Amino acid sequence: MSTKVKRVYGYLAEFESASALYKGAEKVRDAGFKKWDCYSSYPIHGLDDAMGVKRSILPYFVFFGGSTGLLTGFSLAFITQVLIYPTIVQDKPANIFTTAAFFPIMFELTILFSGFTVLFCVLGLMGLPRLNHPLFASRQFNRVTDDGFFIAIEARDPNFSAEETKSLLEEAGGSNIELVEED
Amino acid sequence: MAHHVTSQDIPANGEQIAKKDLSKVKLISLLIFVAGAIASFLLFSNETWGAGYAYSWLFAFIFFITLTLGGVFWTTLHHVTNSGWGVSIRRIMENLGFVFPFFAVIAIPLMIPSVQDDLYEWMNRHRYVQQTVEAVEVKVDGKKGYEAKVVAGTEDLDEHAPGGAYKSPEKAQLYATHEPYDHLLKVKKWYMSLENWLTRVILFFVVLGAGIFFLRKFSIDQDKDPNPTTRRLILTRKLSCAVMPFFAVIATFIAFDFMMGTDYKWFSTMYGVWFFAGCALNSMAVLILTLTWLRSKGYLTTVTSQEHYHIMGKLMHAFVIFWAYVSFSQFMLIWYANITEETTYFLLRNSSDGSVNWNLWSTLLVFLHFALPFAVLLPHYMKKKVKFVVPICIYLLVMHILDLYIAIIPERGPSLSVMNKFAGHEGEILLTAPHKAYLGDIVAFITVGAFFVFVFVRNLGSANTYPNRDPRILESANLHN
Repeated sequence: MSTKVKRVYGYLAEFESASALYKGAEKVRDAGFKKWDCYSSYPIHGLDDAMGVKRSILPYFVFFGGSTGLLTGFSLAFITQVLIYPTIVQDKPANIFTTAAFFPIMFELTILFSGFTVLFCVLGLMGLPRLNHPLFASRQFNRVTDDGFFIAIEARDPNFSAEETKSLLEEAGGSNIELVEED
Repeated sequence: MAHHVTSQDIPANGEQIAKKDLSKVKLISLLIFVAGAIASFLLFSNETWGAGYAYSWLFAFIFFITLTLGGVFWTTLHHVTNSGWGVSIRRIMENLGFVFPFFAVIAIPLMIPSVQDDLYEWMNRHRYVQQTVEAVEVKVDGKKGYEAKVVAGTEDLDEHAPGGAYKSPEKAQLYATHEPYDHLLKVKKWYMSLENWLTRVILFFVVLGAGIFFLRKFSIDQDKDPNPTTRRLILTRKLSCAVMPFFAVIATFIAFDFMMGTDYKWFSTMYGVWFFAGCALNSMAVLILTLTWLRSKGYLTTVTSQEHYHIMGKLMHAFVIFWAYVSFSQFMLIWYANITEETTYFLLRNSSDGSVNWNLWSTLLVFLHFALPFAVLLPHYMKKKVKFVVPICIYLLVMHILDLYIAIIPERGPSLSVMNKFAGHEGEILLTAPHKAYLGDIVAFITVGAFFVFVFVRNLGSANTYPNRDPRILESANLHN
């Protein structure tokens, strides 16, 4: 047995069913916790409301990502095709009104930049990729990908306390409450 | 989440709109329509005004028929995709779609030859050649050919108002004139002949009218059925699968036969898709406005919520993008290819005809019909909150007016028969603004609009506000997305 002092990750509690998890989540939310999460093997409708999760800020990132793509597409086409090296086809003018020809490029780059912004911002906001998660230390947590429903409250949360949080989870309907320590 | 709706909340015999809520609207719209119909009759029969007014009527007819076609589209789409979300607003879709068969009444003026001779030059040419030209077979160098011989007594027939019925000339007659545009008409005759045109227009109303009639009928029958099973659910789904291809073809060919026919030389394969985009987008705006109106009167409140607004707003947003996509594709392909037959459409609309700067409005359309509503509809609350989404719907309908106005009215200027009649002496081009032809546009729009409102409100009042015995009404009432 190691003598090293381990850091506490938080409490992990198991719930019987999706509806028990839902009701438990409402209690934890009302107790004012911020650093906690629900774990289930499938999405549960309305759970984000029960957890009090705010709307993601992702759409704003995507809006600016898409706008950047639009402007990039426009300047890429306009600077090369009008300012630097005007391409005259069938005596059509090369000026700001030629923009119609650039729409496909502007459209494609808007989509591309938005797509990249979604991908990288989702990964960033979720803290991925990561090599390990402290909850993996718990044996009972293995069931989360099969038939387990869990709530974990992190010790980082300012409301966390060794006794009260445990009793809160019991009150909320949790069983097999376990103090998870980081490896 | 709001109160969970259970079967206790759904009245067994459904919810009906009280007579007093509708009678006023019905009466006023009927009176406006009758007054407008009399005014239209006078305008149509007026020597000079009648020519320009034909375009006004066509414009009003097309604008309101897109809304009804959209109603048919959303009803069939809802069944075909086996959707559950919209069961509680499906009756509004059905009622909107069921305005379509009644529009045969509005189409009647457009089927009268003396109105058509202002709109469709190919019909004039067909009627003129049919009546005046006799094809005489000749042999030149051993090859068979035709010479034209003028039919006796037809020398004074007006080329731009030939009269006559639905009878197209033989191909030989079109050969015999040796006119280049008659060759084009001869090649296109398998499609563009007066007999075919009339048959098609009648079929449009009969086939699609029957489709939406039965879809609505099955839905209404369910409301009173003491044993409402899933039988009708499956039946309407099958029927919708059959109606949807007909809808696609009919919507496309309504655009071709009524609108594209105003310039028989021009063609665009994107035209039908562009027309359809306007149908789907603006009928959704009408559905949202109707839902809001009914909710403000206290109907549909148990089975609809903000979630329905959210979904409808999202569909509307999607079709704002789809409209931009297809109308831009149509423009860009023609602009790039630069083929003479194709560019005429945009030459007319991207220049000023001396009274209206069509180019300015066409350019503004890009920003006002696409860029602005696209950006405004992006945040979720713009689609969910009634106070935001209602002004947007009205705005989109106004943009749809502009879109169709640019598509139809510029043809009035260079139209030969209109020039002939409206100007009083030959050679003067009809300019919309100085001749006050736009006044006719307003009269026609109000008249047809009143008819549309009257029939729509009549449909709303003749059935329950939502399919109360549909197996999935609770799924829709408790919608969450």
